[in-house]
Amino acid sequence: MWSLYWRLVGARIRAQMQYKLSFWLELLGFALTTGLEFSVVAILFTRFPSLGGWHIAEIALLYGLTETSFSLTEMIGRGFDAPFEIMMQRGTFDTVLTRPLDGFFQVLASEFQLRRLGRTAQALAVLGFAFSQLPISWTPAKLLLIPLSVLSGTVIYMGLFIIGATICFWTIKAPEVINAFTFGGNALASYPLSIYNRLIRTVFLFIIPVAFVNYPTALLLLGRSDPYGLPAWSAWAAPLVALIFVSIARGFWHIGVSKYTSAGS
Amino acid sequence: MRLYYEIALRSFRRAATYRSAYIAGLLTNAFFGAVLSFVYLGIYGAGGSVAGLSVHDAVSYVWIMQSLISIGSGWLSGEIMQTIRSGDVVAELSRPWSFYGYWMSRAIGERAFNLLIRGSLTYLIGFLYFDARLPTSDDALAFTAAIILAIVVSFAYSFAVNLSAFWLIDSTGVMLIANITLGFFSGFLLPLAFFPPALAAVARALPFQAMAGLPAQVFLGQLKGAALLWALLLQAFWAVALTALALVVQRAAMRKVVIQGG
Repeated sequence: MWSLYWRLVGARIRAQMQYKLSFWLELLGFALTTGLEFSVVAILFTRFPSLGGWHIAEIALLYGLTETSFSLTEMIGRGFDAPFEIMMQRGTFDTVLTRPLDGFFQVLASEFQLRRLGRTAQALAVLGFAFSQLPISWTPAKLLLIPLSVLSGTVIYMGLFIIGATICFWTIKAPEVINAFTFGGNALASYPLSIYNRLIRTVFLFIIPVAFVNYPTALLLLGRSDPYGLPAWSAWAAPLVALIFVSIARGFWHIGVSKYTSAGS
Repeated sequence: MRLYYEIALRSFRRAATYRSAYIAGLLTNAFFGAVLSFVYLGIYGAGGSVAGLSVHDAVSYVWIMQSLISIGSGWLSGEIMQTIRSGDVVAELSRPWSFYGYWMSRAIGERAFNLLIRGSLTYLIGFLYFDARLPTSDDALAFTAAIILAIVVSFAYSFAVNLSAFWLIDSTGVMLIANITLGFFSGFLLPLAFFPPALAAVARALPFQAMAGLPAQVFLGQLKGAALLWALLLQAFWAVALTALALVVQRAAMRKVVIQGG
């Protein structure tokens, strides 16, 4: 399955690389757009000392972690975005179902946007800035936590992308509301969870677990405690949370496929 | 004139038809509004005033910006660009009306709807849950003038950027840069008052604040008397200048189309 995935995705990457100038411009564009986003936060912090006790380097840690995960999800998961929506509208999802291969896998392999690495590069630069400023006493466990956290975050955002696509089985058009949870979730996770009210904290910890993308990890790395009692060790639960969430999303996807009636055009 | 009114009216109705689209848009705007409000509530902490803005002002500013997104203050629509890329633009160019006037009427109709329904409902959420400020009747009147000028400026800018597609086959990159510049220098992402002095001076010399920052300041009642008059005159100046620029770009583009043989 994996070798097949790389063959399909490899073909997509080669296709994108045919337009070299376009590729590099867009890569640069993504890096600049998101780079500016963090500059805005940095400018804001020249006027204010801290956000609920979190200083700019600590915010950079939160931002770098969520942004890295989100950019990786955008790179691998965009098949569930516009390409899938078009499949729904034209009824070409029929073709997917007739092939002797899992439909979920085919949609996943239908798109791979290498240019999103521009965004990843920017996110890693901000993360690098955070690590250079923060007095973290590194242990092997803490080092292991970084890739684990980024991976869990990627999987959690992937779950959201899948849920957004699945709703298309009923609505044909991708609901814009999902943006509030994907882009909005990424924006929300750029700041400490403790600044939000009870409703937002509960929803984004226990229903749509976007807070698990970075907040517990940041608590653990910084040796901080959450004012509402979320334990820092919950950082180690993030992979489990991500796995549960993506399994639910896949389950929802299977329900969607079984309800699928073609566009009939 | 009657023709353009009818075009605008149809565009208004079209925008009203896609109910689920604007409700979804409204919820997304409100969500971002809530997140940013919590950021300001947290960052101001005990209170006080920073760069002339109280926490109450800053939160209201957030909601004004979220309400103005759908009238082109935050980013641009690539609608005209798509018709150029697909070639559909030929049909619109052959019709017996002004190409600029046609698209502007469409934009005005759609934005009027977005402002009256989507924008005001977004602001209502900010008012109910985050105590966003309501303007005095004088400020509201001045804001109406400021917002009309803002729409004219932002449409002209958007038109000129979209028409770059006549020269570039793929103007996604131009659009991206145009959007970044708009969001940053207009005060959409952050009030210009928070900018470092040198950067603020650059922003104030550019046309972008006429599309978002100035109307927001008017709404918050920060500009009175001569300052208010100056802001409206500045907006009017940019409205004329950018419209002229857009028409020049259109002329050049039309020549280009003829050279290509349509």
